[in-house]
Amino acid sequence: MAQTRRLGRLQPAHLLALLSLVILPPTAAWADKVWGSVSGFEHLENPVWKEAKDPKNKGYSFREMVPTVPAKYRKLYPHIPRELCLVALSTQDQPAQPATLIRVGGGRTTPVTIVVTPGTKLVFQNTDPFKHRLYIKGDSNFQPNDTDRGGKREWSATKPGVYEVRDELAPSLRMWIIAEPKVAAISYPSMKGDFNLSVAQPGDYQIQAYFAGQRVGEAVPVKLDRGDVRLPAPIVVGKPDQGADKGGK
Amino acid sequence: MLLSRFFYVLLALVVGALLFTLEMAQSMYNRAGERARGEGLSSDSQVVSWYLKDDARTRSSQLIKFALDGDIARNLQKASASESVLDEKLRDPVTAALKKVHQEMPPDEAFDAVFAVDQHGRVVGQVGYPQANGMSDFELGGYPVVADALHGFIRDDTLVWGRIYRVVGRPVEVEAGQLPAGAVIGARVLDDQFARELSERTGAAVAFYVNGSRTAAGAPEGFQTSSLDQIVSDLGALRGDADYQDKGRSSVRELGEGLSVQYTRLPGEAYELGAGFAVARQFQKLPSPQAFYNRADDKDKAAAHPIILLAVVVGLLAIGLGMTYLEHTRPLRIFHQEVARLAGGQSDQMHPSKFAGAFRKLAAEVNEGIDKVAAATGGRSRRATNLEDVLGELPAQPMMAAFAVPDVTAGIPAASAPLAASPLPSPVIGQRPVAPGRNLPKPPGQAAVSAPDPEAEWRVIYSQFVATKQQCGEVIEGFTYEKFRTTLVKNRDAIVARHGVTQVKFSVYVKDGKAAVKASPGRA
Repeated sequence: MAQTRRLGRLQPAHLLALLSLVILPPTAAWADKVWGSVSGFEHLENPVWKEAKDPKNKGYSFREMVPTVPAKYRKLYPHIPRELCLVALSTQDQPAQPATLIRVGGGRTTPVTIVVTPGTKLVFQNTDPFKHRLYIKGDSNFQPNDTDRGGKREWSATKPGVYEVRDELAPSLRMWIIAEPKVAAISYPSMKGDFNLSVAQPGDYQIQAYFAGQRVGEAVPVKLDRGDVRLPAPIVVGKPDQGADKGGK
Repeated sequence: MLLSRFFYVLLALVVGALLFTLEMAQSMYNRAGERARGEGLSSDSQVVSWYLKDDARTRSSQLIKFALDGDIARNLQKASASESVLDEKLRDPVTAALKKVHQEMPPDEAFDAVFAVDQHGRVVGQVGYPQANGMSDFELGGYPVVADALHGFIRDDTLVWGRIYRVVGRPVEVEAGQLPAGAVIGARVLDDQFARELSERTGAAVAFYVNGSRTAAGAPEGFQTSSLDQIVSDLGALRGDADYQDKGRSSVRELGEGLSVQYTRLPGEAYELGAGFAVARQFQKLPSPQAFYNRADDKDKAAAHPIILLAVVVGLLAIGLGMTYLEHTRPLRIFHQEVARLAGGQSDQMHPSKFAGAFRKLAAEVNEGIDKVAAATGGRSRRATNLEDVLGELPAQPMMAAFAVPDVTAGIPAASAPLAASPLPSPVIGQRPVAPGRNLPKPPGQAAVSAPDPEAEWRVIYSQFVATKQQCGEVIEGFTYEKFRTTLVKNRDAIVARHGVTQVKFSVYVKDGKAAVKASPGRA
């Protein structure tokens, strides 16, 4: 709770910057870093936006493309700094991580996908000027409950699994929490796909990407021995399998 | 009175037919009204949907002005270049540019709020949304409408940010062929003002609702907007409306007091939140045919052809009054006059031939009554003389004596029998009655009944009859020969026709203490 109060005094502008510090495990001065990049993320598609563009879901009365925007951009690829989570998976179970702040606002959570060890406390803070009513499907410990502007709610995964957070007042808001015991470190890439993971302990790890509650791309093994490692090739998280979205209705 | 009765029957049938027609008209009016109400509601619902769509398209086209503004585009590009922290210096120029463009927009196409969003979904500048003032991390990037705009699409959405907002978005490009620098998002609150404008332009009574409560309403003149509050109590029942759940539009629902509504879910994210709008119409059924008179306005009354109706009423009135005059008033008046004449002594009897129907019978009965009263008081009967009363018993067959012995003496025994049985006082007491035709000259050859002149004989008979009546104490006042003769002629003719004889002779005798005349048929 002390950690929560401390988070509450932070200015909203600094929350995102501090996010990466908070969600990362305590790092010693000798923490190793895994440098790498992801590719193919432009072929991923945000499931919420994908559903919303389906005319059957009545998400709009008209939707038209702007022809001056190139087709390669007219795809609902995710905002990977929030939605694509890179994880260093250890060969051994890891302890619970420090409390992690989840911002709720703008029609989504930040981050959208997160991978944590069970028992890690997640603090949901409403950053919108109106209330939210979050809940986790099938979890009795996180039933729909109003969170006013600036309000917070806490929750921890008690066992491994994939949890989906939703909002009764904002159907487009969906978040995926993957409770994975072997999570050693997580990170989010830049818009270009570059990322780095700070791992405290040397050893063998698997670098795995998660998107929308699922693993995407192949896991890349790395061996850390008190030195930074750069992945030899980008992690391919998506493949081209779709044409440009032309809109409709 | 037959015509009057026929008229009454006809009138009853017409009234019955009119009532039946009114009942049918009431049923047809109610059914037609319900059908028109349902069709009207569907039409209203469609029109409102089209209006919302058209309004969103119109407003989205207004977003071009923002997207083409150089300050907005350049500053959004700068903001997008920084992933971690938004440069606060970029907010003011973007906000100023938004205000400038927004002020130049036509008022009816303006937005309540406009947001400039960079590629990361962060709101760089905004106007009209004071709730977000001071929120440096305010963003919109997670909404599908914003994501679509950032990925090169123009579209609308309906969001619920405490209130219902109709939202449109479009990308902001610095250079063609590049990733959009950001997007501009325009929002319009669905409040009472919007509902009123919508109602004025579509003529529909409309109410918006979300989370089980009405948020805005507008209705044309004459429609009480407060009646739309009734939808609140009905919103819960929409869960059981299959059409509403599957197709987004409910069936027509009646809320009482003649108010019917149809619900339509709003497109966009609000669709899943159960937000929508209700169109309403009021239709009061006619509880009875009499309600036509209460509902009719001046136009309805003018369309009823009052002149024709007045002519029909006057015509029927004239027919009815005419028939009652002809069949009631007039004969009654005549009857009254006749009775008055009778009462005044100007007439000794009623003349049934002057009347018809019941009055004729009444006249005859009056005569009958007078006769009976006269007879009972010993007066002279004025009714038509009964043949047998006058002539005595008619023989069933011609008397043989009359035929066999034409001589009058031959008939004496037969004719004298009654007199013998009841001898008359003087001047004929002890005398045989004189055969009527005895002193008359015989008719030449086979002359008809009228051939021999019976006048002299009948006068003799008359004299005998008067004398006999006096002897019997009967009143002879007013008993003239002409009346007596008329009776004799009638009876003679009847006997001639009955028995085929050529001659009838009359004789006077006393029967039951009264003078009587007996007829004896014979051959000339």
